[in-house]
Amino acid sequence: MTVPVRIAQLSCGPEYSGIQEEINEAARAVGAEIFHPDIALKDIIRDFDIVGLEVASPDLRLSIARAKALVEGRIEADAVFICTCFRCAEGAIVRNELRRYIHDKSLLPVVSYSFTERTTSGTLLTRMEALTTIARRRALLAREKQEGITLGVDSGSSTTKAIVMKDNVIIGKGWLPTIEVVGSADAAVKAALEEADIQRKDIQAVGTTGYGRYLVGNHLNANLIQEELTVNSKGAVYLSDRQRGTSTVIDIGGMDNKAISVHDGIPGTFTMGGICAGASGRFLEMTAKRLGVDITELGPLAMKGKAVRVPMNSYCIVFGTQSLVNALAAGSTPQDVAAAACHSVAEQVFEQQLQEIEIKEPVIMVGGTSLIEGLVHAMGELLQTRIIVPRYSQYIGAVGSALLASGFIKGE
Amino acid sequence: MVKVLIYPMTSLILSDMVERFGHQPLGSALSIRERIQTPSIESPPLQISPEEPKKGLRYAAVEVPSGVRGRMAILGPQMEEAEAAIIITDADFAFGCMGCARTNELIKYLVRNRHIPTLELRYPRDEEEGKKFVTALREFLASLGGKKS
Amino acid sequence: MKEYRPTHVGTITKYVFVDSPDITPEELALKAYEISQGLMVKETCFGLQVTGKPEEVAKLIRQIREFDPNHIFIKDRGFPPGDPRRCRANLGGARPGFHGHEYEIPLLRYVSYGLEVSPEKSQEPMGVEKRAKLDVQILQRLMESQEP
Repeated sequence: MTVPVRIAQLSCGPEYSGIQEEINEAARAVGAEIFHPDIALKDIIRDFDIVGLEVASPDLRLSIARAKALVEGRIEADAVFICTCFRCAEGAIVRNELRRYIHDKSLLPVVSYSFTERTTSGTLLTRMEALTTIARRRALLAREKQEGITLGVDSGSSTTKAIVMKDNVIIGKGWLPTIEVVGSADAAVKAALEEADIQRKDIQAVGTTGYGRYLVGNHLNANLIQEELTVNSKGAVYLSDRQRGTSTVIDIGGMDNKAISVHDGIPGTFTMGGICAGASGRFLEMTAKRLGVDITELGPLAMKGKAVRVPMNSYCIVFGTQSLVNALAAGSTPQDVAAAACHSVAEQVFEQQLQEIEIKEPVIMVGGTSLIEGLVHAMGELLQTRIIVPRYSQYIGAVGSALLASGFIKGE
Repeated sequence: MVKVLIYPMTSLILSDMVERFGHQPLGSALSIRERIQTPSIESPPLQISPEEPKKGLRYAAVEVPSGVRGRMAILGPQMEEAEAAIIITDADFAFGCMGCARTNELIKYLVRNRHIPTLELRYPRDEEEGKKFVTALREFLASLGGKKS
Repeated sequence: MKEYRPTHVGTITKYVFVDSPDITPEELALKAYEISQGLMVKETCFGLQVTGKPEEVAKLIRQIREFDPNHIFIKDRGFPPGDPRRCRANLGGARPGFHGHEYEIPLLRYVSYGLEVSPEKSQEPMGVEKRAKLDVQILQRLMESQEP
């Protein structure tokens, strides 16, 4: 049995919100264990304002002092999980500052989360999996070149993508909407193999990622079944040729969004959000449908419009769509409406997620939505930077999986 | 014998003093004990389930963080049962049940608004203050009636 | 969801802290064992924990206090002793409540002193200091002295 990955928990409130066991369970599910760094009261009194942050809540003081013990190596951990109550301002400040502090002063992977009493182990699972992967598979994640013939499949909530790679070159692609998870994966793989002109038996290793990764992974007998946070980071820096140094990867997906601060291809801090559909690719799909254009036409349309001309009163997918409909009825142009929809999604991701990670340039956008030019433009404006969208960005998870899977050819 | 709420509700010193001078201390241990000894759905470590923050709505609205409402669900009933209270005003390092400053503010506020006999004092920092501390507690607890030790 | 079946139902557990020049935690535990009459007594670094039926624990606690009344302090505990949910070995670190005890333990000596010398009635009980308001005339003088 492998030694569990030890995840240090810095928190205030999960036991009293009734969700501590959900955290423990998510960790156990990915072969990790949660622990509470052991320090003494004198450490708390000495260190609780170590980052210059004076907080009143004793449990937050305890968390700060524990963070210092981890950073200084007095207590060993493989990863850090920081969580505080949703809607607690003091907790949010400490959560963000501790994440920054640990990120700056150590190599420990960190994920932060704000919970409610409704938080379940399921919502925490991908985050925990990413934490353990980073801790356990640094060698695998260090891979910068694809070798041999490998297949990567990204079974996403909206679409399924497959990529065949050979000697560091993409030679086959498959892309289609996810309907029946395994069936869609088979069809995507078939398309990719046909384009590559390769037989299934010639594939030397298979990697899967995305929501359907376990189902598809088992079906394809995959060598690597991996959550999308680490896989997409890897794919993004690989395709953008930014494998060394820092970067930020943003993936606005069909069901949730990922924002990842990456160092040498390995995620340092990251967030995953899936609370509101108004901040997802789904909203842009609905907008395109309402405007009577194909989703591929929405981006160029938005580039011709001005978001400020359309009042958007809500981030909600229902009320947001209503705002757009009202604007159209009041005489707004489809161009302005398309631009407003893109701006709304970008702004939500910016406000709700990008504040949770360190934005380091270059910023790379990936996933299907990165092909919507208007969205990338809106995000670039908000971040005041030129955003990189690498070629094949819509296949990011599949490329990352194919790349990492090649590590299994020689049994790494 | 009078039921005396202690604040911090985890305090060893106050718990001891109240019992020593003949009254019943009400603190967080009693609430935790009740949960630990009641059959329900497993929710370690404290047997506080996601239902508790919902029960906490009695004390704080839904926009108040779950940790505050969960703590209030545990501590609130003790507070309501109390016939008197002792509050240490500089309890800045009590953790766990007392680990959230917002909950602590709410508890003290609600206790003060119950208009029950309440003694507020600071932790003793030297022997002289220790003498005043014990004296104040002894007199306050004696004033509540009940037998003295 | 798993069903939770509690243990130790109907019992109470009390912490006994000793901070005394005359009796160590080990000695206290030994003396407590002698009079425990089958109650669960568990020695700890700070004293001991007693578990049993409420009235039996109350009786034993009264006797234990007698060993050194001004230096023995007692508090309720929610969990039975050695519960894995609170055990440091399982959590990785001390449960939060431990730090609360760590904070109060050094103050016990002042309380002990208070218990030893505190008369039944005092002239000056300790309360929260109330700062008097600044006299308005002094305030005016201060303001004037600051004007350029």
